[in-house]
Amino acid sequence: MKNTFEKIQFSLTKINKTHLQILWVLIVLAMLVLGAGAPEDVGGVGI
Amino acid sequence: MILLVAVILGWLTGWGLARWQGRSWLPPDIKFSVFLVIGFLPQWLAFYFEPTRRWMPDQIASFCLVLSQAILLGCVFLNIRLPGMPFLLLGLGGNLLVIVANGGFMPLVAESALRLLSADVLHSIGFGARISHASKDILLMESAIRFPWLADRFIAPPIFDQRFIYSIGDVSIALGAFLLLATGRKIQSLSNPEM
Repeated sequence: MKNTFEKIQFSLTKINKTHLQILWVLIVLAMLVLGAGAPEDVGGVGI
Repeated sequence: MILLVAVILGWLTGWGLARWQGRSWLPPDIKFSVFLVIGFLPQWLAFYFEPTRRWMPDQIASFCLVLSQAILLGCVFLNIRLPGMPFLLLGLGGNLLVIVANGGFMPLVAESALRLLSADVLHSIGFGARISHASKDILLMESAIRFPWLADRFIAPPIFDQRFIYSIGDVSIALGAFLLLATGRKIQSLSNPEM
């Protein structure tokens, strides 16, 4: 149990500012392309 | 979803190139990025979030689409110096132009849709009507569309599982997003190729 906790703690310490920046950029870019584009998925809209 | 593939591929390409060259990959430094979230919000309510999109009238959904794309366009313009952003600006500008010129939704060329769907299905939707509450598109004959070359008219090749119809603006957006992430931020030192 203690080992597991230490492993989780070690993994979390490896998450740094750069990782969070990458995650943020991927999220906002996903929003940008979804908002900017308008392809019509003819298989997924019930037609 | 095909546009998200461009984001993922761009990221993987940028990260892979950086690793190959023994340097760190850093994400592009997008200014005013919070406005991309704010700009997407109206569309999320109008087209993606089931409880709100179901009751939202077409006029309000159309307003949300135009407002959202105008905010996104402004944010892209403010970041125009980043690689790929000129393509994003062109694509978004083209989509917004054809949407505004055709009553606030993206026109879907009926002749293209007919190549994937039966005439009965298209008639059941009705010309000039939205495809569905989850869709930004309205079905129109090509002759009734202003700027028809900017509309959703190109059919995805059969190599894709999902068949979709896209515009030239969508291609430009996908290219821009890919280049933006594949290039990343300016090259960092070679000391830490961890990312």
